[in-house]
Amino acid sequence: MKIFKSIGWRLQIWYGLILVVVLAGFGFTAYQLERGRLLGRIDDELHRRVEVLASALRRPPPRGPEGNGQPFDRPPPGQFPDDRPPEENLHPPREYHLPARDAHFFDASDPNGFYFSILSRDGKEITGSTNQPVRTSVTSTYTGGDVNWIQKLPGNTPPPPKVNFFEHYRETFEPLPSGEKILVGCSVLPELKELHRTALNLTAVGGLILFVGLAGGWWFVSRSLRPIQNISAAAVKISAGDLSQRINVGGTESELGQLAAVLNSTFARLETAFAQQKQFAADAAHELRTPVSVILTQTQTALNRERTAEDYKQTVEACQRAAQRMRKLIESLLALARFDAGQEVLNRLRFDFSKTVSDSVELVQPLAAERSVKVIAELSALQVTGDTERLAQVVTNLLTNAIQYNKSGGVVRVNLASQTGLAVLTVADNGYGITAEDLPRVFGRFFRSDKSRAGASNAGLGLAICKAIVEAHGGTIEAASELGTGTTFTVRLPIDV
Amino acid sequence: MRILIVEDEPDLLASLAQALREEGYAVDTAANGDDGLFNAEGTDYDAIVLDVMLPRLDGWEILKRLRQTKKTPVLMLTARDQTRDRVKGLDTGADDYVVKPFDLEELFARLRAIIRRSANQTTNLIEIGEVKVDTAARNVSLKDKLVELTAREYSLVEFMALHRGEVVTRTQLYEHLFDENESSLSNLLDVHVSNVRKKLGAEFIVTRRGHGYCIA
Repeated sequence: MKIFKSIGWRLQIWYGLILVVVLAGFGFTAYQLERGRLLGRIDDELHRRVEVLASALRRPPPRGPEGNGQPFDRPPPGQFPDDRPPEENLHPPREYHLPARDAHFFDASDPNGFYFSILSRDGKEITGSTNQPVRTSVTSTYTGGDVNWIQKLPGNTPPPPKVNFFEHYRETFEPLPSGEKILVGCSVLPELKELHRTALNLTAVGGLILFVGLAGGWWFVSRSLRPIQNISAAAVKISAGDLSQRINVGGTESELGQLAAVLNSTFARLETAFAQQKQFAADAAHELRTPVSVILTQTQTALNRERTAEDYKQTVEACQRAAQRMRKLIESLLALARFDAGQEVLNRLRFDFSKTVSDSVELVQPLAAERSVKVIAELSALQVTGDTERLAQVVTNLLTNAIQYNKSGGVVRVNLASQTGLAVLTVADNGYGITAEDLPRVFGRFFRSDKSRAGASNAGLGLAICKAIVEAHGGTIEAASELGTGTTFTVRLPIDV
Repeated sequence: MRILIVEDEPDLLASLAQALREEGYAVDTAANGDDGLFNAEGTDYDAIVLDVMLPRLDGWEILKRLRQTKKTPVLMLTARDQTRDRVKGLDTGADDYVVKPFDLEELFARLRAIIRRSANQTTNLIEIGEVKVDTAARNVSLKDKLVELTAREYSLVEFMALHRGEVVTRTQLYEHLFDENESSLSNLLDVHVSNVRKKLGAEFIVTRRGHGYCIA
């Protein structure tokens, strides 16, 4: 079910249950305490009255003038039930009367007051209050168990006689050694009513607390979980492609707020990465457009009418040049993609870097001669570990750039020396230089200072690839330039990789 | 019709120029921004095909500077196809915009359209009396019969038709029918005019002595 999958609902149900259990336990205990307190008071009273009655029964009949008026007719002295074992048949039921001084204990006019009943051995009532409840038979209604159990535990301090309920009356039943039994009781209707009220109060208070607890809990849970809803709403939009979405952190400083902040920075990085990727793809497509236009225009023109073999040859050559250019571009793109993905495998060897540099200088001599640029190399032998071909590519690229962006009659100085554990290669030209605005972007992809594709189908990826290669070797490459004075590229490679 | 192409990719420039010449246009070319602007400002072209990415001076700059002096229709040619590039091009004063790679057919059609619009024509069909000039099919018919014209003769008719009612000077005709490489032998124009008159009727082109020619 959906409800049981929601954290909010599960929390709610969980502490709802705990609250119910705690409240029920607390309420039940409070109710029992109150009940014990109320009934205990009654029971104490009952016991007191039983004692009074019992001692009155045991007392010898008072003598003297005031004694005549005493209601208890006692058997002659020496015939007390206490003194000798009772013989039921010999002793017909006797009459008992409540002594006047004890009468205030049993107010017969109060229907809820205390009452007493004295029963003969065979369970017949000898005497009793007028306000006692009507019952068919005391013994049959009195189900308090074995009333003689106290006697069966000799040596024990007899606990107070048991108190039981008869309907809404609280009664205690005390057997006398003479065989008569004293029953004292009273109506506990007011106490029961009070208990009922207490129970209702407890239930009401408990319900209120439960309601407040659940409502407050719900408020708190939804408040705490709201950031999660924000997060998931933002994540949904982002997964739908809207990378500009951010989670509204809005002053949440809880763990969720921190999570949202972390996610936001992740989203920002994702957006930047996607934007770069998009720009890269757009630039790559843009670079492919021109050679494709060449092929399309060349072929469509050629096919417009019959041509001479020479014309066709020219068309095919133009198409070939365009295709070569595309191949070069694709190779560069692939190289960059592999470096980006860390998939480019460098064939690491220990070799003399100065040899590689001088080979590259040789390689660019024809271009230098064409542009009337002089290349001056000052190289000291240096062993480095790395991919010879890739590093040669870097050197050739830097040299080609230095020649191409130089003035006619310019000079390119190549210097290789070791410096504190680094092989430092500098390629300096005295050409036009790069503006301060462009300088930070020269290693960017598809960067071209003159914003055209002039310069022998250079797509603007050369320096980006150089940077990728050097960094894959654990080195650095940087450019310094002054407009009109020239540009210096510095490559630093660790000698011991 | 005389057209200037400014494009720095030599293979593209060469084939475009060839294709347009074969379409009957007089074509001048420029391989960089400086030359392009110089040509565009110095000559009344019927249209300019202008690449955006150019060495030295880019297409936007050429367009901006050219618009200060001339209203020549300009068709921008670019590899950038994002909306903001198109908007920028059109707002800077370009008349149309073609994204590389393109089909020659489309380029031709767009060129014809901007030339037509600059002459305040809305359709490809211009009717002058019994003569109909179809600038899309590049043919001319007299009384609903196609008339065989050479490319140069057609260009003459088309140019005159687009400037119907105006007196067109000989210099104008030379500028628009011949490119910079052709020697402007003054009687070459007279030969074309006389040939057109033979084919479309002597009254089709009226000579305004001392001024030039006119189509009524």
